[in-house]
Amino acid sequence: MQQAGAKILRKASLTGWLSQLIERHEVIAPVAGHAGDILFSRVTSPQEVVANADNPLNPPKQFLLPPTDPIIAIRDIGDGYHIEPIHDHRQRVIFNIRSCDVKGIKFLTSVHVFDLVDTSYVRRAENTILISLACNVPCADGFCICTDSGPFLQDGHDLQLTDLGDRLFVESGSEKGRSLLDTADAFFQPANEEDIAQRLALEKAARGLFGERTCHFASAMRRISGRRVPEALWDEMADWCLECGACTMVCPTCYCFSIKDRRECETWVRCRISDSCQYAAFTLEASGHNPRAERKDRMKRRFFHKVSAEYYRRDEAIGCVGCGRCIRTCLGAADMPTVVAALRRGAWRE
Amino acid sequence: MNRAVGIGGGALIGTDLYVPCIARILSVRDETPDTKTFALRLRDPSEQERFQFRPGQFVELSVFGHGEAPFCIASSPTRPDNLQVTVRRTGQLTDALHTLNAGGEVGLRGPYGNGFDLDAAYGRDLLFIGGGIGLPPLHSLIWNVLDERSRFGDITILYGARSPANLVYRDELKEWAERRDVRLLVTVDQADSAWDGRVGIVTTLFDRTALRPETTLAYVCGPPIMIKFVVQDLFVRGFAEEAVISTLERMMQCGVGKCNHCAIGHRYVCRDGPVFTYRQIKELVE
Repeated sequence: MQQAGAKILRKASLTGWLSQLIERHEVIAPVAGHAGDILFSRVTSPQEVVANADNPLNPPKQFLLPPTDPIIAIRDIGDGYHIEPIHDHRQRVIFNIRSCDVKGIKFLTSVHVFDLVDTSYVRRAENTILISLACNVPCADGFCICTDSGPFLQDGHDLQLTDLGDRLFVESGSEKGRSLLDTADAFFQPANEEDIAQRLALEKAARGLFGERTCHFASAMRRISGRRVPEALWDEMADWCLECGACTMVCPTCYCFSIKDRRECETWVRCRISDSCQYAAFTLEASGHNPRAERKDRMKRRFFHKVSAEYYRRDEAIGCVGCGRCIRTCLGAADMPTVVAALRRGAWRE
Repeated sequence: MNRAVGIGGGALIGTDLYVPCIARILSVRDETPDTKTFALRLRDPSEQERFQFRPGQFVELSVFGHGEAPFCIASSPTRPDNLQVTVRRTGQLTDALHTLNAGGEVGLRGPYGNGFDLDAAYGRDLLFIGGGIGLPPLHSLIWNVLDERSRFGDITILYGARSPANLVYRDELKEWAERRDVRLLVTVDQADSAWDGRVGIVTTLFDRTALRPETTLAYVCGPPIMIKFVVQDLFVRGFAEEAVISTLERMMQCGVGKCNHCAIGHRYVCRDGPVFTYRQIKELVE
């Protein structure tokens, strides 16, 4: 924890601070949707922010990697084509994002700067400030304790808030966070010894609340990278996947995409569109050949990318932040903890 | 861990990863009933100047309104003014490309991929084995080699196609056949009435060729079934796994190792390939 410079925000001052953020940035926060679902959305007034909300079903990756992301506008201007890159320069704050989603964004950033730098992603990431809310109580499906991505953060956030009852404990994790606090000095006061002690006690207590909930990645990694998963097990597990792709849509670390042209008025707009390695057409070649025509091969691919030692060495993290969204979303039984448990056992059922 | 831009010896043109440059079609040549060769030049002269590549690299080519797809560069870097791609009509994008004529415009980004390692080939005997539409990537390398002919040993080209109508680069096949510093053998699976050449699959040509496995690098491109049998025969004749080189095909979108379509394990055909030795191909598993 970054105790030096830690601040306290009285909850009575929260509205004032949020108003200031909304004035200066596009603020994204968990809000109540039409059917009562909690979702990440832009807010235009502090009242829209749902305090202590359940983690939204969709991660906030859509604000860094929009499902349909215009890259260039292509116009036929008579004597030839004209191409104009489309850049998103919006200054965003993602408020009350949870620890797992901060780690998800950290993962996405690492893959987009690895090797060739994806400037369109980096531009958005640089213009986004992450203000996270630590989890005093783990959520129902979360296993962030197994992926080192919660319930409290050591890094990745710009600011981390902890709910101390009538006040919020505020610690900064980056230069961006510190300068944001500097521009809102009036709302904050320095944290005292008692505040710090309470914050540390809450983290310790939260870590103790996970109980038996575990996901043994190390042993799954050994089996996948040691090529020691029986083919029959993949066959069996694939029977519990409906190929809907929802796990990849709600996963904070999934980023596969395709590139397509869309017609908008007199212009072609080339878009980067979210895709899923779980769809059969993902690897379908023009010749008709498909190296991953079988569902089990696509499932194998997903878990190789998530938990293999090869990708772990490349990305310096496994591709899971323990948010538990795939558990809630999967209509079958192809979620991370279920598959990892089966990989570890070497058998689908005990 | 991070690799520099343009690892394949080429320099990427453009700044943003997915923004293409505009290229003009200089000419279109019919190769077979469903295959055409397009000669291209970047509209902006400074971009054309900067567009440097090595044989075996590919470009992402856009037909605006229809998206983009990867195509290997068929021409040689030793002839930079005439950038060529040879494209068979197999889907929506290639259908649209085939309707374009000289003067038409396409998008181009790249070059991408590793390309063939020419340094490793200097001083060696070279054996090129192409099947059908698999000749274009070899075509780039063959012309590069012929333009630096004195730096290589014996050059043998074996080319097979399903029928005489499926042979590409017919004029150049004639030219290679007439050259005394190249040995070219062509065969078709099924002859037609006008065909007076060899008949049989490409592997039958091995029996008409004196191979020197210890000094030769073999470059194999073609349909998977052809590669399978060619590679088996090369090993039987004493070629080492490192001396057999091929290019892999996969569904690709971004061309720069981000979109994950062409991943095999943690390797990316677009970035780590598309050129691999047979030894490397064997290690590509997930």
